[in-house]
Amino acid sequence: MLDNIKKEFSTRTLVLIPIAIAINIAIGQLVYTLKLPIYLDSIGTVLVGALVGPWAGAVTGGLANLLWGVVPPPLQNAYAVPFFYVAIVIGLMAGFFGKRGVFEKESPRWLSVVIGAVFFFALALFILAFVNIDTSAGFPVYPSMKDLVAQYLVVFVLAAVIGAAIGYYLLQNGGYTGLAGLATGLVAAVISAPTSAKLFGGVTGGGTDLIVAAFRADGGSLWASVLAQGSVSDPFDKMLSFMVVWFILRSLPARFKAR
Amino acid sequence: MDSLSIYAARASGLHKLNPVTKFSLTLFLLVLGLALPGMWTSYLILVLIIVPLAIWGKVLDRLTRIVLTISWPFILSVFIIQTLFWGKGTTLFEFGPFAPKLEGAIFAFTSSGRILLIMADFILFSLATRPDTLMISLKQAGLYPGMAYIIVTTLQLVPQFAAKANAILNAQRARGLETQGNILVRARALLPLVMPLVIGSLMEVEERAIAIEARAFNSKHKETSLIEIPDSQVQRIVRIGMIVAALLAIVIRILWR
Repeated sequence: MLDNIKKEFSTRTLVLIPIAIAINIAIGQLVYTLKLPIYLDSIGTVLVGALVGPWAGAVTGGLANLLWGVVPPPLQNAYAVPFFYVAIVIGLMAGFFGKRGVFEKESPRWLSVVIGAVFFFALALFILAFVNIDTSAGFPVYPSMKDLVAQYLVVFVLAAVIGAAIGYYLLQNGGYTGLAGLATGLVAAVISAPTSAKLFGGVTGGGTDLIVAAFRADGGSLWASVLAQGSVSDPFDKMLSFMVVWFILRSLPARFKAR
Repeated sequence: MDSLSIYAARASGLHKLNPVTKFSLTLFLLVLGLALPGMWTSYLILVLIIVPLAIWGKVLDRLTRIVLTISWPFILSVFIIQTLFWGKGTTLFEFGPFAPKLEGAIFAFTSSGRILLIMADFILFSLATRPDTLMISLKQAGLYPGMAYIIVTTLQLVPQFAAKANAILNAQRARGLETQGNILVRARALLPLVMPLVIGSLMEVEERAIAIEARAFNSKHKETSLIEIPDSQVQRIVRIGMIVAALLAIVIRILWR
C-alpha cells in the first residue's frame, strides 16, 4: 500500500494538485457569489481522484479546504476549513471509483434516463415527506409513502419526467459516473451535517442557506433541516461535479491522460 | 508578489517570528476556537489573543477592515435565519408574522463569533507572513518538500486563477453569454465558464513539471536558501507546546459530551 501511495505522487501529480486546488477554490467561490444552492467546490478533487488515484485525491481535497482559509480575500472562505475531512472522503471515493474505471466506461443511454428519473423521484419524495411532517403529536410523524404519492401524483410524475430528460441530455453516456457522484454526495451529506449544524447552524452565507431556511420555516429541527439541506444539495452537487469531470476527461487529449 | 497576496510588510516582532511558528499558532487558535464550548469563547480569544497580536504586528487596522468586509454577509444571514426560523423558544418580540427567538439569537451570536475568529486568525497569518518564506521554513522544519511545494504554489496560483476566471467571464460575456438573471440563466452560464478555465490550466501541468524538474526539484541534496529565516530554541518549544495543547483540546472536547 505504501508503494501504491508513493507511485501516485510523481512530479506531475505534485504539479497537478495545486492547479486542482485552485480550480476548487476559483469555481467554488464563483458559485458561492452566484448564490446557487450548490457548492461545486470539489471538481479539482474529483479530477485528481479520477486521473491519479484515491490518495492524491484525498490530499487535494483536504488541503483545498484548509488552504481556502488562508488564500487572500475576496477568495478567502474560512467557512470551508472545518469541512476538510469531508473533502478528504470525497477525494478518496472519487479515486476508488476512478480505479474501477467509472470515468471511462460508457453506459447505455437508457441507464442514464433511469438514473435521472429515479433520482428526481427520490428527491421529490424526500422533500415532500419532510414538508409534510406532522408535529401535532409532539414528536415528528412522517407521512406514509402511499399517501404522499396519492396526494402529489402530478408532482412525482413531473419529477420523474424532468429527471429522465436530465438523465438523457446531461448524463448522456456517463451513467456510471453520475451514479458514482450520487453515492459520493450521499456520503458527503451525512458526514458533513454534524459539523454544519454544530458550528454554523447550517448557515454559510451561500445559496444553500435558503434551503435550510425553508426547512426550518416548515418546522424542521436544526439538525433535521441541515441534514435535509445536505441531502438535497450534496448528491446533486457531486453528481454535477463528477459529470463536469467526465466531460473534461473527454475533452483532454489522450496524450495527457496517458501519464 | 504584492498583487498576489495580502502580505503587509511591517517592521514588527510578529513579522520577524519564524513562519512555521505563526502557522502553528494559526492552527492552534483555530482548534481552540472550534473545540472549546461556550458562546463567549471565540470572542475572548479574539480580544485577548488575536487583537494584541495584530497590534504587535502593526496590522490591526487592515485586519479589522478585511474581516468586517468579508464577514458581514455571513453574520447578517446567520442572524436572520437563526432568529426568525428557530422553531420553539422564547419569543423576543412580535413583528407582524415574525417572532424572533432568544435561543436562535444566542446560537447566531455563537456561530458569528466562530466565523469571525476563523477569519481573523487566517487573515492575520497572511498579513504577517511572506508566502515564499513560509515554503523555505516549512522545508527547513522537515516537511516533505512535495507538500511544501503544493501549499505555497496553491497560495500563489489561486489569485492568478481568479484573474483568469474573470478574463474568461468577460470574454464569454462579449460573445453574448448571459450571466445575470434567474437561477436557470445563471446555472446555464456555468459550463462555458468552467470548461475553458479547467482545460486551459491542465495544459500547463506539463510545462510546470518540466520546469521544476529542470530546477532539480527531485534532488536528494539539502538545498541552501538566499533568504535567512530566523528561528530559536524558544520558538521550537512553543511550537511543540501549541501542537500538544491543540491535540489535548480535541481529546477533551471528544471526551466531554
